[in-house]
Amino acid sequence: MTGYVHSFESLAAVDGDGLRYGVFLAGCPLRCAYCHNPDTWEMGAGQATEAEALARKISRYRPYFGENGGATFSGGEPLLQAEWLCEVAELLQKEGIGYVIDTSGGVPLTDAVKTLLSGAQSVLLDLKFPDEESYLRYTGRGMAQTLAVLDYLEEIGKTTRIRIVVIPEINDSEEALNAYLAHLRGKQCVSEVELLGFHTMGFHKYESLGIENKLSSTPALDPALKDRLQAFVNEQMK
Amino acid sequence: MSSWRGFKEGNWNKEIDVRDFILRNYTPYEGDASFLRGTTKRTDSVKKRVDELLIEENKKGGVLDIDTERVSSLLTYQPGYIKKGEDLILGLQTDEPLKRAVNPFAGYRNAVQACRAYGYEIGENIKNEFRYRTTHNTGVFRAYTDTMKKARHAGVLTGLPDAYARGRIIGDYRRIALYGMNYLIKEREADKRRIGEREMSNETIQLLEDCERQLEFMRQLITMAAEYGCDISRPADNAYEAVQWLYFGYLGAVKEQNGAANSIGRISSFLDIYIERDLADESIDEIGAQELIDDLVIKMRMVRHLRTPEYNDLFAGDPVWVTCSLAGMAEDGRTMVTKTCYRFLQTLYNLGASAEPNITVLWSTRLPEPFKAFCAKVSIDTDSIQYENDDVMRKDFGDDYAIACCVSAMKVGKQMQFFGARCNLAKVLLMALNGGRDELYGEQIAPEGEVFEAGKPLVYEEVLEAFKVYAAWMAKLYVNTMNVIHFMHDRYAYERLMMSLHDVEPGRLMAFGISGFSVLADSLSAIKYAKVTPVKDENGLIVDFITEGEFPKYGNDDDRVDEIAQWIAEYFYEELCKTPAYRGAKHTLSILTITSNVVYGKKTGATPDGRKKGEPFAPGANPMHGRDAEGALASLNSVAKVCYDCCQDGISNTFSITPDALGRDDEDRVKKLVAVLDGYFAQSAHHLNVNVLNRQKLIDAMNDPTLYPSLTIRVSGYAVNFNKLTKDKQLEVIARTFHEKV
Repeated sequence: MTGYVHSFESLAAVDGDGLRYGVFLAGCPLRCAYCHNPDTWEMGAGQATEAEALARKISRYRPYFGENGGATFSGGEPLLQAEWLCEVAELLQKEGIGYVIDTSGGVPLTDAVKTLLSGAQSVLLDLKFPDEESYLRYTGRGMAQTLAVLDYLEEIGKTTRIRIVVIPEINDSEEALNAYLAHLRGKQCVSEVELLGFHTMGFHKYESLGIENKLSSTPALDPALKDRLQAFVNEQMK
Repeated sequence: MSSWRGFKEGNWNKEIDVRDFILRNYTPYEGDASFLRGTTKRTDSVKKRVDELLIEENKKGGVLDIDTERVSSLLTYQPGYIKKGEDLILGLQTDEPLKRAVNPFAGYRNAVQACRAYGYEIGENIKNEFRYRTTHNTGVFRAYTDTMKKARHAGVLTGLPDAYARGRIIGDYRRIALYGMNYLIKEREADKRRIGEREMSNETIQLLEDCERQLEFMRQLITMAAEYGCDISRPADNAYEAVQWLYFGYLGAVKEQNGAANSIGRISSFLDIYIERDLADESIDEIGAQELIDDLVIKMRMVRHLRTPEYNDLFAGDPVWVTCSLAGMAEDGRTMVTKTCYRFLQTLYNLGASAEPNITVLWSTRLPEPFKAFCAKVSIDTDSIQYENDDVMRKDFGDDYAIACCVSAMKVGKQMQFFGARCNLAKVLLMALNGGRDELYGEQIAPEGEVFEAGKPLVYEEVLEAFKVYAAWMAKLYVNTMNVIHFMHDRYAYERLMMSLHDVEPGRLMAFGISGFSVLADSLSAIKYAKVTPVKDENGLIVDFITEGEFPKYGNDDDRVDEIAQWIAEYFYEELCKTPAYRGAKHTLSILTITSNVVYGKKTGATPDGRKKGEPFAPGANPMHGRDAEGALASLNSVAKVCYDCCQDGISNTFSITPDALGRDDEDRVKKLVAVLDGYFAQSAHHLNVNVLNRQKLIDAMNDPTLYPSLTIRVSGYAVNFNKLTKDKQLEVIARTFHEKV
C-alpha cells in the first residue's frame, strides 16, 4: 500500500519515551486555528511512500531506540491512514520496533484505527477544546470522535498522554483548563496531562500557503504562565 | 621495592610495560557519581588566583607576558608557582604563571612575528643564538620543490607543520611515576648499545643520535624536578608523587616543545591505582584524592604557547590540546572506568567549565550505565567533553592507546605520529575542472589537463575521471611534502623528551587529512543527480556554477550521496598509500578541520553544490550547515557510514542540539543523550563533540562577552572558550545546524 508522508524528523526526542523517529503524515480532518503545521493539512499531498520503504527507513534508527524508543506517527492526522500504518507497524514489529501514535482522535473508530491504537507503545492524544461549541468554532469539527477514541483507549488500558495547547486569552486560565479535566478525571489510561504553550513559529507557513491565520495577533504563551498552569493541572490530576 | 608495595607483579617488573601494570592492578568502578567531593579551601584559593590571572590575560589581548630573553627549555627558567606555598602539584612552564616562552626551533620568523603581534621584540640573546642555527622551517624550505610551494601557496595543502612544531606526540609520562628516571635512562642506554651493534645505515645512525638526544634531556628532567625539590630519579611512592612525577614529565615536554597539540595521554586509571592504595591505607581520603586531580587539572589549564595570528586563524581559541583520555574497555572485557575517571570529569564542576584539558571519553556501548549517565550530565551542563568510539579503536590500538589532539589514536609510548594537517579536496575538484589551474588566481598548480566547457552541463563520469587523476596526483605530492617536513622536523626540532618516553623504535603513523569533505560529496552528488553548468570568467577560468534541480545531500542518511562520501575517503586513502612515507610510517587519514574550515572556505571558489565563493566549509566530517534536513539522527547516520578503517586518524563530527529538542527535563535529557551516543557508536561511528545549548545564547555571548565569560563550546575535536574566537568564527559556529525541537 501507499501512504502519504509530509516529512521526517529523525530525532523526535520529546514525542514519547526514548529516542523517537518522527514521521509526519500528510492530511488532517481538523483545521485548528492554532495549528503550527498547516502545511500538513492537505490529504493526498506529501510524498507517496510504500509501507516497506518507510519501515526500512525507520529500521535504520534501530540502534538508537533501546527499550523504550521507536517511531512516532504524527501529522497531520496519522489515523486517517490507519490501514497503511497497520501494514508499516507489522513490518516494524518484525524488527522489534515499537511506535507511538500522536493523534487528535478526530476520526471514526474503525477496525484499522483500533488495531493501530492497541498495538502502540503509548498514545499522545490532543484534547483541542473542552466542549462541542469550541471544537466547532476553532477546529471545524465536533469532539465526539475524540471522546470515543479516549473511551476506547480507556477500555483497552493504553497508556495515554493527553496534550492541551494553551492559547493566550482563549484557555490560559485555571477555570478554562478545569473544563478539559472534567473529561479526564478518573480515566486510568491517562498517564499525564501535558500543556503545550502556543507559539508563533508556524506563522510564516500561513503566509506562504496563503491561508488565513485567525490567531495572527495572538502572542506566544509566557513560559512562566505555562509552568504555573502545568503545576495546577498536575495537582488536579493527582 | 617499597614504591611498588602491594602491587601485583607481572611483565611490568621485567621490562617497561605500563599496560601490564595497569591491567594487573587497577580497580574497575561500576558505581555512580555519589562518592565525588567538592574543592578544598586551598583549591579555591589557588583557583581564585588563576581566575584573576585569566582576566588579566584577557585584558591584555590574550597574552599576559612573554619572556623574550630566553629560549624555552627544561632548565631555562627558575621554578614558577601560581601561589607559592599553596600549589599542591608543582611546576610551571616559565617562572611566572601564564608568562609565555619563546620557542623558535620550529621557525624563527614565526617566533618573531608572534612576539610582535603582542607588542614584544625578541631579545638579543635569542637573536644571536639563532643567527647561525638552522630551524625546522629553514630546513623544510631548503628542500621544498616549486610544486610543493605552489600547492601550499594556493591553499590546496594548508596548515602544514612546516613553520611551527608538529605536536601530536604523547610521551608516556606514566613511566616516570612507575619506574623513576634512573631506570628509564639505564634502559635507553642499553637500547643504544644494542642498536650500536647494527650495520651503520642512515637509519641506524639516526636512531643512535636520537637515543643520545633523548638521554641528554632525560638527565635534564631529573635536574628540573630537583629544582622543585623532588627526586624523580626514583619511582613515585604514593598518589601525590605519582601525579607530581607524571606532571613533571609533561611539563618538561611543554617546556621543550610548542607543538600544535600537547596531549597528556591516558592517565586516569593509572593514577587510580596509586590513589586506591593510599585510600586503602588511609593516607588520603576522597577529598584529598579529588584535590590532587583538581590541582593537576589546574596546571593543565595553565599551559600556554606563543602563536602567530595566522596560526590562530587555523587553530582558534589558543588551544594546547591537553587531551586527556578517560574510560574505555580492557581487552579482557572489564571496563577501564575507575573512580579517577569520574574525578577528572568532576573537575568541570569543581573548577568550572573549560576548554582544557580536552577531556575525551573513550565510549563503549559496554561502559557501565552510571558512568554513561554521568558523562551525559557533564556534557549537558558544560559542553566540555568529546566522545570517541573505543569499540572501534580498540581493534587497531588495543586497550592502552590515547587520543592526541582531537581524534588521533596512538598506543601510548609505543606509537608516535607525524602530523600532516590537511588537503582541500573541494579545491582539488575545482582544479580538475580547470585543467590543473587554481580557480581563484588562475595559476597552473597541477599538470595541465583538459578544461571543462562552460554553458554545457557537467557529465558525472567525466568529472569523476578527471577528479581521480588530480586527486591521485595530489596524494603523491602530499606524501612527498610530508616526508620533507618530518625529515626536517626530526633533524632540527626533534622531541627529545617526549620520544625518550617511547619505546626506542616506536611504530610511526603519518597522519594525512581531508578538508572540504561534505562540500565535495554534495558537489559530486549535484553533478550526478541535478544539472550543473559551469560558468567561466574572461580568462576562461571556471569560477561559478548554475545548479538546477534537486540532489541528495550528505547528512540525511541517503545512501545515494553517502556512498559518494565514503568513496572519497577510501579513494584518497588508497592513493596516499601508494607513496612510501618517511621512516616507514603507516599512512593514516583524518576528516578533521579544527577551526580551519573557515579559512579553507575563504580560499576556495564557488562549488557545484551551491556553496558560494569564500563561504565556510562544514567542520570535519559534518554535513554542510542546514542541509541535514531530516534531523539529528539522520545526520549522525550519514557520518557513521564513513569507514574508520581508511580514516584511522579520526572522523570528526560536531553535534549541537538545543536542550528542548533533547528532552523534557534534565533526567530525560541525560537518558536521551546516552541513547544518542550508544546508537551512533553502535554503528561504528568514530567521534562526536556534543553541545547542548541554544543558538540565542551564543548570539548573546557574541554581542556581550561579559554575559558568559567562561562559555565553552565544542568545535571540531576540541573545546574553546567562545569569547576567544574571532567574529567570523563565532558567526560560523552560530550558523551551524542546531538540531531543534519541531
